[in-house]
Amino acid sequence: MMALSIVLMLMSGMWACDPEPTSAPPGASAPAEPGKPSVPAQPVTRQTRDTYQFYCAQCHGLKGKGDGINARFLTVPPRDHTKTDYLETRSDAQLFDAIKLGGLAVGRAPCMPAWGHTFNDDTIRSLVRHIRELCHCEAF
Amino acid sequence: MILICWGLWGQSLWAEPALQTAPAWAEVEGCATCHRFSPNQPESTAPDLFYAGNKFQQDWLVEYLQRPTVIRQAGHTRDPGFLQGQPDFTGPHPVLKPKDAATLAAALMTLKLPDLETVALATTPLSEGKKVRIKILFERDYSCIACHESYNLARQPRGGVSGPSLIDAGNRLQAEWVYLWLQQPKIFLKKGRMPVYQFDEETLLNLTRYIASHKKESGNKN
Repeated sequence: MMALSIVLMLMSGMWACDPEPTSAPPGASAPAEPGKPSVPAQPVTRQTRDTYQFYCAQCHGLKGKGDGINARFLTVPPRDHTKTDYLETRSDAQLFDAIKLGGLAVGRAPCMPAWGHTFNDDTIRSLVRHIRELCHCEAF
Repeated sequence: MILICWGLWGQSLWAEPALQTAPAWAEVEGCATCHRFSPNQPESTAPDLFYAGNKFQQDWLVEYLQRPTVIRQAGHTRDPGFLQGQPDFTGPHPVLKPKDAATLAAALMTLKLPDLETVALATTPLSEGKKVRIKILFERDYSCIACHESYNLARQPRGGVSGPSLIDAGNRLQAEWVYLWLQQPKIFLKKGRMPVYQFDEETLLNLTRYIASHKKESGNKN
């Protein structure tokens, strides 16, 4: 029965970059609650912007519009970081967790990998601030 | 895409000690114009070849040098046009005659990093059930599909293009190299665009075997 379930999942492609996965991998933390206190602010430096360009732009695009070179090949489009309407509904803690733990861990598209072993927490915090620059918005 | 020089090489030129620069045959024939043959050389816009003997399968090299194929649709990550999706280098890669391709492939296979860890990998094929479970790890848990082309269930290529395509990884890459790359990419590349993972041993072995199962030959399902 379990094998059949897996096959059905595969046939439907449900797990691949599904925006609303039903379960998180072991070790993943719960998504941050909206309104949760923001992560400590980290200034955006030239290094932050370079980091975004080097790693994030592959999917999110050079200007953060979600149009990176991988975008058209993904089942779920990468997040447009200039979309104020959406990003102001996300807390800084949620953005931090999405970067650190990956999309799947925070109930979003699993196309977004976990960067927690690539960046330290300060770098991730500065990337959160950079996304706030791109969207010209803050969390509610 | 791999850019490799063409021409004839003398056996006496092949054997090089630990390389600080390109080997003589690579300089003479122009390979070093695009490829690095030492991590100490300035970064170039084509894949590094100083560990070609660790990374590639010789048969694949011989075939590639005669009939080059596109491995990175978006170009190499160091290509100035990479992030725009408009790489400066669009090919074609030089094409060699069979004898020359075999000669160059043999030379490339001598290029190895010293003191690499020896890896013992299981050689038995993955069962279909296990392959399915690792496919979920590959695509869902670790997001590899966002940047690498793999196969869907209908055996059609699917996935991102910023990383090298993996649809023939089992033909192209040595499984031991895949293991080490997933475990410690900085051995080979100081700063790459791929996320760093800290896989446990079982996951590492499973992903390695899964990637190595990607083969192009008909009859070899991914």
